[in-house]
Amino acid sequence: MNRRTVLKNLALVIGGAVLLPSCVGKDGTSYVKLKHVNIDEDGQRLIADMAETIIPKTTTPGAKDLNLPAFVLLMIDDCYDNKRQEAFVAGMKAFTAKIKNEHGKEFGDLGTKTRETILMAIEKPPVTKTKPQKNIPPDPITNFYWGVKGQTVFGYTNSQYFMTKEIVYELVPGRYIVHYPVSKLKLKTA
Amino acid sequence: MSENTYDAIVIGSGISGGWAAKELAEKGLKTIMLERGRNIEHIKDYVNATKDPWEFPHRGGRTQEMIKDYPVLKRDYPLNETNLDYWASDKDSPYTEVKRFDWFRGYHVGGRSLMWGRQSYRWADIDFEANLKDGIGTDWPIRYKDIAPWYSYVEKFAGISGNKDHLAILPDGDFMPPMEMNVVEKDLSKRLMEYYKNQRAMIIGRTANITVPHNNRTNCQYRNKCWLGCPFGAYFSTQSATLPAAMATGNLKVRPWSIVTRILYDKDTKKAKGVEVLDAETNKTYEYYAKIIFLNASALNSAWILMNSATDIWPGGLGSSSGELGHNVMDHHLGVGAGGTVEGYEDKYYFGRRANGIYIPRYRNLNGEKRDYIRGFGYQGSAGRENWSRDIAELNIGGAFKDALTEPGVWSMGMGGFGETLPYHENKITLDKTRKDKWGLNILSFDVEVKDNEKKMRIDMANDAKEMLEAAGVKNVHSFSTDGVLGRGIHEMGTARMGRDPKSSVLNEWNQVWDAKNVFVTDGAAMASSACQNPSLTYMALTARAAAHAVEELKKGNV
Repeated sequence: MNRRTVLKNLALVIGGAVLLPSCVGKDGTSYVKLKHVNIDEDGQRLIADMAETIIPKTTTPGAKDLNLPAFVLLMIDDCYDNKRQEAFVAGMKAFTAKIKNEHGKEFGDLGTKTRETILMAIEKPPVTKTKPQKNIPPDPITNFYWGVKGQTVFGYTNSQYFMTKEIVYELVPGRYIVHYPVSKLKLKTA
Repeated sequence: MSENTYDAIVIGSGISGGWAAKELAEKGLKTIMLERGRNIEHIKDYVNATKDPWEFPHRGGRTQEMIKDYPVLKRDYPLNETNLDYWASDKDSPYTEVKRFDWFRGYHVGGRSLMWGRQSYRWADIDFEANLKDGIGTDWPIRYKDIAPWYSYVEKFAGISGNKDHLAILPDGDFMPPMEMNVVEKDLSKRLMEYYKNQRAMIIGRTANITVPHNNRTNCQYRNKCWLGCPFGAYFSTQSATLPAAMATGNLKVRPWSIVTRILYDKDTKKAKGVEVLDAETNKTYEYYAKIIFLNASALNSAWILMNSATDIWPGGLGSSSGELGHNVMDHHLGVGAGGTVEGYEDKYYFGRRANGIYIPRYRNLNGEKRDYIRGFGYQGSAGRENWSRDIAELNIGGAFKDALTEPGVWSMGMGGFGETLPYHENKITLDKTRKDKWGLNILSFDVEVKDNEKKMRIDMANDAKEMLEAAGVKNVHSFSTDGVLGRGIHEMGTARMGRDPKSSVLNEWNQVWDAKNVFVTDGAAMASSACQNPSLTYMALTARAAAHAVEELKKGNV
């Protein structure tokens, strides 16, 4: 296997096919160059930290391991229209300001428990859908949160890692089995 | 001239064009199939068919750039990154909408046979008799008995999987083994039939996916990615079925990038002598000649070619003498139905992605029932398990949430109606001589809408769906209803209808243009009514029937 193939496979394994050009920011981590929406390094870091809070690294990879923050940004950049992008950025700014105001720190510098509590508060009242919401909710922060969560979860459940390591997925099932017990759906047993 | 002369010309390469080419070539006619778009080679050109979901940059979604480039396609599900190349460019081929009409086109070899929904249902006598009985439009010049042997003929070759359900409204066909309903669908079907005392049925869909190997085609692999092109050739398409058979005869030539601009009419013989072709790549014009011409450019474009073939004898276009050419545009009106959740079955799941669903055949206005509208509708739908979602706060984010995402969610059942649209003379397409497409050709203008009969039917379509799901035990049932814009069914029909009288129809009982008997139109344009079943199987049967007749007539020297 030559180096190029190795790199290509590696890129796929880490959650894959995000082909956005990236650049190195002031703290040494890489940031995504966006074409249509202005989300700066701080914003990108916030989104990554939120994604990691939603899908954290446990015994299995988390959002950052799977490159999900870049996927979230790609979807916001390419698939949201101007209005939704503006609402997203406005919500991001409001959220950043609120966290600074209430905690005196950036979101990513807070402990896991605090970060979870903050996001859980936005969840209420519980919304059943995990997919991106069609209608923009009136509250900018809630809207921003659901944008990040929706795309993070969408990216996670459609990632190569999830589909090949967590659940039973076959590109070519070859058969349709009507009686298939739920217990056989997961690759890992709890 | 001789090298451009064939026995037969087939215009279009979709479901009906592919059938015409196969039948004519197999009967020994030197045939050329003219396709306006590019070639798509079976398997090799299905570039996205073997990709995994994570290989699509937006996981199958649509970008703003795509939305900008496809102002029509964006109106419904076809616009997504998985098979964008299979849809015609709205920018290159615009059309005028006096009233909104959603026109989703496939301009390439295979046409929409590559992206079609594959549901394949026979019509019954009640469908062929409806116009006469209701005094609407023109009487179909054929009845079920005329087309039944041709349904069998095309079913056996195409490979239609289905169950023999013994329903008068939906005649059984020559089926391959049916696909299976999942556990929830089976129970809902049973409860529904009990509740309605067998007056309504929920059956497994009859689909042009083969369930056993057939003619060098591999049976369905339950990928449910048919619209990307099937590397196994498991669903019927021009590429998987009719084209290889036609090519095997050595009698067929396929010419992509060939826009037929008009049919050349010879006023001395009162027949067509050939067609004019604009090469879509070079913009050069060619003429091709043949004894018979099959027009299979899809309902609206077949009408466009006929209208564009105006002469001093037929100023409204070839086949315009009845005044019906381009009129009576039909589709199936849809976007109405209901859905809900099903309790229980939590330990049950299914494996494989079935490229098929359930079907509820028409039950309205039968056996003496009279609603405040005529005709009827059927439903298509399916039950499945949703992704994980629970209203448990601790499970909304974090490690436990991540683990929970591997669990399936609740069972849900949804279904949507397909309603019959009546043939209205005033629902029409015309040539818009003020606007041109990329190739400098006049484009079509649409003036088509659903009317009172369809609107009343849609009320039943929403209410019945809710009532039936609730009767079957589905919970949290919500019905939905959209605006009923036509075109979205992607079942365009009626613009060159068959009939018994040249004064009220464009085609005779053999799909021959009354005004030029060696021109056969066997796509959706030929339909005198729309029924509510998916129409492609009927196009196949009409095409095979017309091709057999054409060759007989050719031998007799009648065309």
